[in-house]
Amino acid sequence: MTAPAVDLRQITKQFPGVLANDEVDLTVDRGSVHALLGENGAGKTTLMNVLYGLYKPTSGTVVVDGQERTFDSPRDAIDAGVGMIHQHFMLVEPMTVTQNIVLGNEPRKWGGLAVDREQAREAVAELADRYGFDVDPTATVADLSVGEQQRIEILKALYRGADVLILDEPTAVLTPQEVEELFEVFDELTEAGKTIIFISHKLSEVTAAADEVTVLRDGKNVGTVDTDDVDDTELAELMVGREVLFDTEKSPVDAGAVGLAARDLVVEDDRGVRAVDGVDLEVAEGEVFGVAGVDGNGQSELVEALTGLRTPSSGRVALGGTDVTDESRRQRIEDGMAYVPEDRQARGLVMSYDLTENGLLGSQRDPQFADAGRIRWDDAETHAEEIVAEYDVRPADAGAEARSLSGGNQQKFIVGREFAREPEAVVASHPTRGVDVGSVEFIHDRLLDLREQGAAVLLVSSKLDEVRSLSDRLGVMHDGELIDVVDPTEVTEEQLGLLMAGERPPDVPRAAVRAGGDA
Amino acid sequence: MNPDRLPDSVAGVMGRLVDASAGERLIVSVAALLTAVLLGGVVTLVAGMFAECSALFCYNPLAVYRYLFLAPLFDSFVLQQTLKNSALLLFTGLAVAVSFRAGLFNIGTQGQLVLGALAAALAAIRVGPAAPEGAIGGVLIAGVAMVAGAVVGGLYAAIPGALKAYADANEVITTIMLNFIASDVAFFLVSAYFQKPDSGSVETRDVPAAARFGPELALLLAVVLVLLMTYVLWGTAFGYDLRTAGIQPDAADYAGVDAKRMVVTSMTLSGAIGGLGGAVWVLMSVGRWVNGVPSLGFDGITVSVLASNNPLGVLFAGPLFGSMQAGSLSIDFQLGVPRQLVGVIRGLVILLVAMPEFFRTLGVRWGMGGDR
Repeated sequence: MTAPAVDLRQITKQFPGVLANDEVDLTVDRGSVHALLGENGAGKTTLMNVLYGLYKPTSGTVVVDGQERTFDSPRDAIDAGVGMIHQHFMLVEPMTVTQNIVLGNEPRKWGGLAVDREQAREAVAELADRYGFDVDPTATVADLSVGEQQRIEILKALYRGADVLILDEPTAVLTPQEVEELFEVFDELTEAGKTIIFISHKLSEVTAAADEVTVLRDGKNVGTVDTDDVDDTELAELMVGREVLFDTEKSPVDAGAVGLAARDLVVEDDRGVRAVDGVDLEVAEGEVFGVAGVDGNGQSELVEALTGLRTPSSGRVALGGTDVTDESRRQRIEDGMAYVPEDRQARGLVMSYDLTENGLLGSQRDPQFADAGRIRWDDAETHAEEIVAEYDVRPADAGAEARSLSGGNQQKFIVGREFAREPEAVVASHPTRGVDVGSVEFIHDRLLDLREQGAAVLLVSSKLDEVRSLSDRLGVMHDGELIDVVDPTEVTEEQLGLLMAGERPPDVPRAAVRAGGDA
Repeated sequence: MNPDRLPDSVAGVMGRLVDASAGERLIVSVAALLTAVLLGGVVTLVAGMFAECSALFCYNPLAVYRYLFLAPLFDSFVLQQTLKNSALLLFTGLAVAVSFRAGLFNIGTQGQLVLGALAAALAAIRVGPAAPEGAIGGVLIAGVAMVAGAVVGGLYAAIPGALKAYADANEVITTIMLNFIASDVAFFLVSAYFQKPDSGSVETRDVPAAARFGPELALLLAVVLVLLMTYVLWGTAFGYDLRTAGIQPDAADYAGVDAKRMVVTSMTLSGAIGGLGGAVWVLMSVGRWVNGVPSLGFDGITVSVLASNNPLGVLFAGPLFGSMQAGSLSIDFQLGVPRQLVGVIRGLVILLVAMPEFFRTLGVRWGMGGDR
């Protein structure tokens, strides 16, 4: 029996005020795929950053390939054969695949004076060939899809001699097709003797791709199990420490008048290209209207036009029966529109503000928190504390900077803030993106509460099971058009897939219009 | 510049700066000040070796520092000069800090100050004869002059604000250009229409003596204004909008802030403070508008950076800079140490004290530190 590829022993990492890893053991066998599963803020990324030399552990030892190591920087880790592929790629987009892969380790000629391009290209082609990657070494990175770029990152690590590959949430940016391709790449790599560790909080991926899974909770290792001996429900329980209900209970609600509507809406994107092309939709009060579609088919621009961040080139937007097309974003907030934005770190939160200040974002002039423009910080702090408590945001500290929160906790705070407006209409763009299982359920329940209270909810999500289980009606967007509105309980996954691809399969179950009044 | 490609050691230091507590930052600033003093001492000694005198080291660093930092305590002229400089730098430092907080690099405080000063002088001269005798008249004239200075400074800053908001013109470029225009327009106006009779230099007539005041009152006004602006920035919805627009424009849009209007408004506010500084310069320092306005607006940039664009920090950076400026004059007179050498020492202090804050600001912008 050879030594395990990676053996982390009793790793503890203490940050000011946060114990991110608490005596974590992790053993990964050579040639295996090991998943690291846990809720947001459970300490997965911290642990991997320790292994990759970005952080020094407070205590504990790192053993790679049977040898005890101290990494002062990622360079040391790379020298020891540990490579990491971050969630955000570090590629130079205008350069070719080959240039990116050899960057910093270019083969030389003429006594080291020049880069040997020929040799570099051959080395990359040979590397791609050996692992069965289908890449063109001369292609420009900017022209490649996200999945291809990820493979370039993997090749880059391999070129530098990595035996252990760490991938931080590798599937977060991929389409379902690309995810499958990635898992095939995993197989190729492990066959060649490489070891893979990947971080995830998606149960289905873990059971599909990993040999073993280690579950982290609150910085502790709560169990390492063989994926053959465990099912999704058991894993979910391990993750959150309690039973999770996967089926959302949806009570029948009588739909009221039209709460939010778009009529013949045409919106251009930043480049002046028509991104939304004549969309008509009506969301009734007490209804969840889902919008499904492959990202980039106009959903973002539609949402921005509805919420007042983008001026449509033609068409009207109505809120609660009133035409608000010419109203500012400010006015729409005051009229009772809540908005969970797609990009939480650019829009939803001010990263250097604490949670008290962030709790005011959008409500800074609301009489609830301000008298004649003077902010009452005590009330703002109480408000933030309420959101933190209700949505279980960690750390539970209204004075914490938004930047110091993990992505999932940031998302929970935004959702909490927006839903606390007691809105008449809600526009929620990917409200559970990057959020852990336990919190997803909670956010879903709150969304349905708002529906019961009579809010008109527009839900945009790329998660099919989410839009299907929450929506009363489901619209599918393709190439800027709302090509069909279907009944989410009757429609099959195949039909949805075809609709999302822009085709119109026969016999699709149409959804009945629910709104009572006229738009 | 891609922060991901920084060496790990540099990125580490920057991340550490971002995470530093207020106390740690104070310690860093004090340590930087001491380091600058030490380095400046060495420079003084070395420079002294090349000067002509009988001793080996012609300049005594201790004497230089005694003057630079402590002269206001024993030299009443330097004290007066320090108070005046400090008051004016509080105004201009605050003006710059407000614009930086809004994410705007208003390099035009100088021009706003020059025109604000001219407007204040002309208003005081115009109102003077109509005002009642005595203290009440003085307060009235001074009040009118300061309002005129603030309004003209504000309007002049609104120009680059509007150009940025509605024509996408970079405010750094436009404000620098408007500085030149301000000086030349003021020069032309005074020499053509408002010239003091029988004077060799380009200057207006004197403002009424009743409207003039000493540095103590100016300092008081400046401190009150700093406290007021601190409250506005952190205690009001307007300040919240302004800061949000400055840090994260997309988040400000999301929160319903009209970004374009905010650019114009915050530039106007910054310019008004600068113009007010100009009015104070006229009423306190010179008693008239005179060509060759000192570079108070540019020094305000230094003060603001030194204070990491925090109005309360300006309360310390302004007087520090103001006293060093006053001290350097008397060092020249009293010790025979060239002013340029004192300038080097001052530069060292500013460089070393400002750099940690500068890198911290960059680190915050690049989202460093606070990793989990």
